[in-house]
Amino acid sequence: MTTLGQQPAKGEGRKDPWGALLEKVGRHQDKAAYHALFEHFAPQIKYYAISNGIASHAEELVQEVFVAIWRRSSLYDWRKAAASTWIFTIARNQRIDMLRKMQRRSGEMAIETEDLWQIPDDNDDDPVTSLHRLTSERRIRESLSQLPQEQVTVIAKVYMEHKSHQTVADELNLPLGTVKSRVRLALNKLKVILQDQNV
Amino acid sequence: MTRHHPDSLSLMEYSAGNLSEPHALCIRLHLDQCGHCRSRVDTLNSLGAVMMEQQPDVSVSDTSFEQLLARIEEAPDARAAQESPRLSPLQKLLGDDMNNLPWKRQLPDVSVVDITDKFPGQSERVILQKLAAGGKAPAHTHRGTETTIVLQGAFSDAKGVFNQWDFVVLTDKDVHKPVAIGHEDCITLSILSAPLKLTGPFGRLLNPFIR
Repeated sequence: MTTLGQQPAKGEGRKDPWGALLEKVGRHQDKAAYHALFEHFAPQIKYYAISNGIASHAEELVQEVFVAIWRRSSLYDWRKAAASTWIFTIARNQRIDMLRKMQRRSGEMAIETEDLWQIPDDNDDDPVTSLHRLTSERRIRESLSQLPQEQVTVIAKVYMEHKSHQTVADELNLPLGTVKSRVRLALNKLKVILQDQNV
Repeated sequence: MTRHHPDSLSLMEYSAGNLSEPHALCIRLHLDQCGHCRSRVDTLNSLGAVMMEQQPDVSVSDTSFEQLLARIEEAPDARAAQESPRLSPLQKLLGDDMNNLPWKRQLPDVSVVDITDKFPGQSERVILQKLAAGGKAPAHTHRGTETTIVLQGAFSDAKGVFNQWDFVVLTDKDVHKPVAIGHEDCITLSILSAPLKLTGPFGRLLNPFIR
């Protein structure tokens, strides 16, 4: 869990504090900011690796994610994504890439991991869209705390253990339809399904 | 303008990084053209970030940050300046002209290329299908699930009109009889979890393609 004492000072308007640090890394190669990001996110990424079944490569995944953060930080734009969302997608892509390399499939493939999983940045600077993106993490955190535990459990298995809905159903001994309807209910509350009405 | 989108559950599996490579490709191709779904995936990625944040932390090794500094100092110039323009995943996979692929004609209006071997280590079959402009495919159903994205042109069937970058998932309950509409050949990319099954009199003839 986040230690509040380690969080950087707020007060940069709508900019999230981790985003401000990430921008310092991107613009000035600021190693103190980089270290603060490491202290906060590295333990999360390590847990992510372990829960995904690659415990023996957990430290390695942390390294790969942070090298990628350093190299890509100049591309980070706080108006387009919260820092933690941006870092989550890097962790996910590096996890996929690492598994792919372990299975020695990357050499045989015409397309790279990023071709499949990295979505090109939107160039729309529509302020409504930007605001929507920036507030989405806060909205999700709030809505998530209202969801029944059985829905959160399913979502956690999908995200943290990269299990398909079918595998989650098998594990929890539930019909696939039940798992899917729990996810749909949750996504409804999280406004993923009806999002266009709220933008 | 795309009108048929992947469902939220598929987008969630994409956001979580749980899809097979052919399925991820279909979603990615759709996202490239669909701001609505990009925005849904943005939200789902934030959900992933919040899930990651709400798990227990695991301390990293004491030397981890030092190792990291050593690595980034080794290659200080490796920072990405600007995203260089990349070939689209489709171009990388299929080259510049889909018409030059080794199409095999299966029926007067239907040609197919099997591209399964471009995705090593998958259990699913991945095929491109081309329906000649104005052409009809015979009625068929699917033994498993067929996920399709329209790469060129458009087709219609009982469920509606499917334009370029539209996304459609058919199951064993759908009998499907597509017609290519418009002036262009309709090319689709499909992932088959199990072989198709023809419902009409052509069934036996078509075994190689729709086996």
